[in-house]
Amino acid sequence: ISGVAIYTGMETKMALNYQAKSQKRSAVEKSMNVFLIVYLCILISKALINTVLKYVWQSEPFRDEPWYNQKTEPERKRNLFLRAFTDFLAFMVLFNYIIPVSMYVTVEMQKFLGSYFLTWDEEMFDEDTGEGPLVNTSDLNEELGQIEYVFTDKTGTLTENNMEFVECCIEGHVYVPHVICNGQILHDCTGIDMIDSSPGGSGKEREELFFRALCLCHTVQVKDDDSVDGLKKNQLSRRSCIYISSSPDEVALVEGIQRLGYTYLRLKDNFMEILNRENNIEKFELLEVLSFDSVRRRMSVIVKSSAGDIFLFCKGADSSIFPRVKEGKIEQIRSRVERNAVEGLRTLCVAYKKLTAEEYSNAQKLLQNAKLALQDREKKLAEVYEKIERDFILLGATAVEDRLQEKAADTIEALQKAGIKVWVLTGDKMETAAATCYACKLFRRNTQILELTTKKIEEQSLHDVLFDLSKTVLRHSGSLTRDTFSGLSTDMQDYGLIIDGAALSLIMKPRQDGSSGNYRELFLEICRNCSAVLCCRMAPLQKAQIVKLIKLSKEHPITLAIGDGANDVSMILEAHVGIGIIGKEGRQAARNSDYAIPKFKHLKKMLLVHGHFYYVRISELVQYFFYKNVCFIFPQFLYQFFCGFSQQTLYDTAYLTLYNISFTSLPILLYGLMEQHVSADTLKREPSLYRDVAKNALLRWRAFIYWTFLGVFDAVVFFFGAYLLFDNTIVTSNGQMFGNWTFGTLVFTVLVFTVTLKLALDTHYWTWINHFMIWGSLIFYIIFSLLWGGIIWPFLNYQRMYYVFMQMLSSGPAWLGIILLITVSLLPDVLKKVLCRQLWPTATERIQNASRHCREHISEFTPLACLKSPGYRSSDCSNSPARRSNSHSKKTMFTHWKGVDYSVLPSVFGYSNKPCRSSAGYRFSGSGLETSV
Amino acid sequence: MKNKMGFTLQEGEAQPSRCPDNSAFKQQKLPAWKPQLTIATVLSSFFLIGAFCLSVGICLILSSNSIREIQIDYTDKCSDCSKLRENTSNWNKECYCSANFTLKEDILGDVFMYYGLQNFYQNHRRYVISRSDAQLLGRNVNIQKSYCAPFTTYRNGTPMAPCGAVANSMFNDTIDLFYNINSSVIQVPLLKTGNSWWTDKNVKFRNPKSHNLSSAFAGTARPPYWQKPVYLLDEEDERNNGYINEDFIVWMRVSAFATFRNLYRRLGRIRQFKDGLPAGNYTFHISYNFPVTKFKGRKQVILSTVVWSGGRNPFLGIAYVVSGATATLTGFVITAIHLKLRKKKTYFQR
Repeated sequence: ISGVAIYTGMETKMALNYQAKSQKRSAVEKSMNVFLIVYLCILISKALINTVLKYVWQSEPFRDEPWYNQKTEPERKRNLFLRAFTDFLAFMVLFNYIIPVSMYVTVEMQKFLGSYFLTWDEEMFDEDTGEGPLVNTSDLNEELGQIEYVFTDKTGTLTENNMEFVECCIEGHVYVPHVICNGQILHDCTGIDMIDSSPGGSGKEREELFFRALCLCHTVQVKDDDSVDGLKKNQLSRRSCIYISSSPDEVALVEGIQRLGYTYLRLKDNFMEILNRENNIEKFELLEVLSFDSVRRRMSVIVKSSAGDIFLFCKGADSSIFPRVKEGKIEQIRSRVERNAVEGLRTLCVAYKKLTAEEYSNAQKLLQNAKLALQDREKKLAEVYEKIERDFILLGATAVEDRLQEKAADTIEALQKAGIKVWVLTGDKMETAAATCYACKLFRRNTQILELTTKKIEEQSLHDVLFDLSKTVLRHSGSLTRDTFSGLSTDMQDYGLIIDGAALSLIMKPRQDGSSGNYRELFLEICRNCSAVLCCRMAPLQKAQIVKLIKLSKEHPITLAIGDGANDVSMILEAHVGIGIIGKEGRQAARNSDYAIPKFKHLKKMLLVHGHFYYVRISELVQYFFYKNVCFIFPQFLYQFFCGFSQQTLYDTAYLTLYNISFTSLPILLYGLMEQHVSADTLKREPSLYRDVAKNALLRWRAFIYWTFLGVFDAVVFFFGAYLLFDNTIVTSNGQMFGNWTFGTLVFTVLVFTVTLKLALDTHYWTWINHFMIWGSLIFYIIFSLLWGGIIWPFLNYQRMYYVFMQMLSSGPAWLGIILLITVSLLPDVLKKVLCRQLWPTATERIQNASRHCREHISEFTPLACLKSPGYRSSDCSNSPARRSNSHSKKTMFTHWKGVDYSVLPSVFGYSNKPCRSSAGYRFSGSGLETSV
Repeated sequence: MKNKMGFTLQEGEAQPSRCPDNSAFKQQKLPAWKPQLTIATVLSSFFLIGAFCLSVGICLILSSNSIREIQIDYTDKCSDCSKLRENTSNWNKECYCSANFTLKEDILGDVFMYYGLQNFYQNHRRYVISRSDAQLLGRNVNIQKSYCAPFTTYRNGTPMAPCGAVANSMFNDTIDLFYNINSSVIQVPLLKTGNSWWTDKNVKFRNPKSHNLSSAFAGTARPPYWQKPVYLLDEEDERNNGYINEDFIVWMRVSAFATFRNLYRRLGRIRQFKDGLPAGNYTFHISYNFPVTKFKGRKQVILSTVVWSGGRNPFLGIAYVVSGATATLTGFVITAIHLKLRKKKTYFQR
């Protein structure tokens, strides 16, 4: 070879399937920004109100400029508007603390530091591969607690992508290459188990031909030493050679055949060498390779045996082989193939034909012409392949197993219990994928499967099919009071939808009349009512399309995509959270993902435990930050009404500066890192707890308004409490008077204590670090205040705080006032908590109660036993918070309306050019072996 | 509340991992105290808080009731004087007036005399910052750089001592108290010192160092509204003169609100006033200098006793009683709800 032309650029398969990376923001961040805007409005309106009131108040000259408080000359001369504007800005500066700038710093720190807990987690560490979870972005930590849809790849994600040759069927006789006992495969056993009786003479010949076909019909390369770049270092490493292929199926087949006695040695000088059962080396000249493509879904080789016979061996998906077969035991093999497919095995059929020298030269000529064609080469090649690959004699079929990853079923079950809808997106064929879905409990025995496949669409028009399905689905959901969060209620009919790539592209395709949204809406409606959806034969971009479709549907659910291969990258990038499996198919997915985990099973802990924790922590953090700044600034706002709107600060500058930096920042940061409102084990055991935080539950408007009003209430208590305490009276026991700075310091002391104790009341998990931080920051406040007021600071040009704090502490009424105000401002929140817990407990609180109950009474019993009490079960129907039933009724209404709407629609949208479209879709989607895409 | 220790590290030890260090911290399994809102803790805390607040409140109300306070507004009683003061050109004309009151009972214990001002915005920002703490510390500072404007220097460049609006507007009425007994009039002894914070008097306010006070203030002038320079504030007592004059120090601590009172004098408990003020007729003799009518203000003179809980202020006591009562009531409500719910629950479980 003197040169190789490699096509690079934007039209390669890689680049075409590439999805532009976009900035991902979490739902928490979005609501944070909305809250911020609200606060910005509050800030501006506060400043405006005060500016206006200031000028109203000042309209009387004895107030504007009394004799004791005169303006300077320049001040007097200044333009009124300029003055008003300056005043407005001054108010803005005075109140700006209500916009918690420090919140952003704290949130970033919380996310960054918090993400370490994920990487440190021992349970997420995989012993086999020595890999732990990777965190590529810490921005989305809390999004892990908000997931509503999980889109998972099948091969390599749900399954191990560790292909195992299970059996082959030759002429209806089944060969199993190893003994299977108790589900465990003993690799050492090399004997052939023949389930059926051994075939006779001609059968023997076919059998040998079959093995040779498998040995020859592939594109596997052989590496002699172990120094392969980590791709196939598994069980083969003890052998002298290692097979490498773009598709793990081929490797599995060649290895499987090796166990049956035929070893593929190498390709040398265009001769393929195989070692047969008698340990003789057979040589075949490789004449042509009709390589695999996802449209044909088969590949062929033309070889010439040492005896001079020319064979064409072909291997491919059953659907592409059977139509081209003219003889062989088609029926027997077909039934076997179908049985295997249902069991979740990946099947391939093998066929051959013998070519005469004349036929071969014809074929070669055709191929040569096509290969040299300058225009439409692919099309011409396809035509030639079509011509050559026909009139086969069927040899048999193989079955390769891709085992499920450990605990995949358990994980999926947990996710479904947590109210997450799991979709499987795969490039595999429907039967295989469906079988895997059954195996991993995505579909159950009582799940009614709805099919939306090309086959069905060929029978009816897409419109009708969709329509029928939606009717089936909606009939149930309309009549029954269905908890929309639950995909698992036993009394309900479960639906599982299977859709393939071609049908999807039809649905997604915008129609000429521009009313493209219709089918999508209908499709989405169906999907929403299905507990599980399986999308098979998906092209990588189609996966992303599906994710996008769901992402942009009107509920804007939070989506998560998980995959291991390069073909999942676009979906990983598209979803709100992309998770890569650090798997066999390279690190491309892991590198493009937001988080990478070694195994699918780790998803459970990641979402249910870490995600839940992160969400609870950050939502409290955000709300608390707004709360504490309202508490901080609102008294300052109120004070303006008493000081002639003169922008006089209530607190000393040092307090203003340090409030957010040192007095109140560390406890909440630590809360954001350490809080565990229930134990991690409980969260893992009770996936339904995940629903308590679903849909951004802790950052809803109601919660936000509650926190804001709590802040305002506390601020009012601080300010007016202190005001009434100071109101024209003596606050000391020695008759001396306090000034404005003492007043401000008293308010500030109450503020710092209240805000910190409020956090202490919210903390459910007190480690020594929490104790240290919470009590430490209070002690720090006291020490700082003592120091700040204890010295005449030489670098300051004012000494207004001198001994103010000490004098305050020396006064009895001030102490009594501080204690009273702290108590009064904390009690309502405690009361609200207690009442809510008693009257409308959330599932989390019930679990907390129950676990405590159990610990108190019968400690040997698991908490689960207690949870079986009817009180808990009734939560779903009667006691559940209003939000659930709300969302439900809205949904029902919508579905009714939708249904009516569609029934009115005439079926104008019939497909005249349907075959053409479906074939177009097919080219995108059809890829039998996912890995070769 | 139950004290439950968190997970121990047994699991981690049982399975040796390739992860190098798996501390309890990293696995988020630090031993922790997990307090929970149990009905017992909640109820007991509510009742405890209720009982505490109620008892403190009752104590406060009782002690507050023993406080005697006499408040006399002399703005209108001296209407002639206040008219006179409305015109600034009359600043050096003296004006006196008096106010009478009768004590039906003795006021026992320490009696404090306050002057009160209403509608005087001492907390206005422009006013609050208009002072120089460095100057008051006795340092030789360039007050041009301070915030004293517009009361910094005179046109001819003479700096004001003390500078700033706060000092300039110092309360300058003189109030004397006379006891009318059997048609003879006795001046009630009043103490000028001990009325300000000890730290203010001894640390925060210092006179400039010099051999005598008038030379210390040489080169400066009195603030425009003052009748006499700062070194003549108290000619009788050297240690109460200049910046460390207590009336001045008290004034310089600006109040939090527009209605306020400042400590003016304490009763000197000697002779017949050993136990306080005896019952009888009293007269305040007021040298009326401080104009308030221009800003619609009012002036009072107040006599009050003080106990451990401060002066007369019903707020604290009432607030304690009210919150104590609320907490107790809430405790009962929670109990009722709890009992009702528990009945329901047991019914379900049968």
